[in-house]
Amino acid sequence: MSNSLTRATATRLLAERLTREVVVSNLGQASLDLQQIADRPLNCYTFGAMGQCSSVALGIALARPDVRVVCLDGDGSLLMNLGSLCTIATVAPRNYALVVWDNEVHQTTGGQPTATAARSSLAGIARGAGIEKALDARTEEELRRAYDRIFTEDGPLVVSVKVMPGRAEGRLDRDVVGHARRFARALAALPASEPARS
Amino acid sequence: MSNPSWSKHLADVLRRNAIRMFATVPDYIVSHVLEHLWADPECRAVTVTREEEGVGLLAGAWLAGRRGALLMQNSGLGNSVNALASLCVASQIPLVLVISHRGDLGEFNPAQVPMGQATGPILDALGIRHIRPGSVADVETQGDGLIKLGYTRSLPVAIVLPPELTGGKQG
Repeated sequence: MSNSLTRATATRLLAERLTREVVVSNLGQASLDLQQIADRPLNCYTFGAMGQCSSVALGIALARPDVRVVCLDGDGSLLMNLGSLCTIATVAPRNYALVVWDNEVHQTTGGQPTATAARSSLAGIARGAGIEKALDARTEEELRRAYDRIFTEDGPLVVSVKVMPGRAEGRLDRDVVGHARRFARALAALPASEPARS
Repeated sequence: MSNPSWSKHLADVLRRNAIRMFATVPDYIVSHVLEHLWADPECRAVTVTREEEGVGLLAGAWLAGRRGALLMQNSGLGNSVNALASLCVASQIPLVLVISHRGDLGEFNPAQVPMGQATGPILDALGIRHIRPGSVADVETQGDGLIKLGYTRSLPVAIVLPPELTGGKQG
């Protein structure tokens, strides 16, 4: 079955809804799309440590329970750190959502297929790890409904978004230290609010 | 002779430096420190499935304003190398590693020895400053100083726990 959504469209649909949420993005394509479409100080780009994006986002969610954290991971990266799903299920932060751009390939390295191209389902693995709110989104309508849930329900949620393969446009700004400092300052300056709604 | 209060002193040095967030893959030795942290309602200790997950989690916590320490065996240092290098060192994110040192003096398990001998060189190769406190007094003075240095440099540091401090693990 071919996928009709692009990662850029899916990123844009998320960006339209952002106010005081933190967005943590995976190295490579996810960060490049986010920088190009909606660069903002509350974006936490990751540039290395393939696989760790969902864990970085979990640490932010635990340290700031008053802020909703949306992680934009990739299928190849999450497959490297599947244990993270078990930790997310165990800790179960209400302010945590993991969105996976599942294009079924290792895009940055030339499009080699990942395990999701064959038989593996990331939403299925997430459910097996103990995350009850684990969804698939294959169309724009399904994605909009999934975002509705992310922005209104308690987490943790996992949304596996089937997107078309393809490289993002432009060049990644790799000021690694500068982006980390900008994010930390912006989050520190964000006034505390009531913990994410129940 | 190991002083059994070493683990309480180490937990206190960490807490005195405002560290309240912890991640761990437990081993026999660091579990003695974890007991003090788990008993403290102000501390949060998350058991992760693999040590590099703890590196990611605590890097995120620091970016969100909380200091963290990762408690693990030196085998877990091997599991964490790329995350420490390409996340913490590259982005200048501080983190305190508390590493029980298996595979060194007195070791009974041959499988522990290669990582045991590689522990110091791996930390050196990553530019991670480390200490090996041999006594409770060393834990208090060197440990405290090392943690302060880590936050001043904004880089990871490591407290490696030798058997002469902890009593090691007997086969």
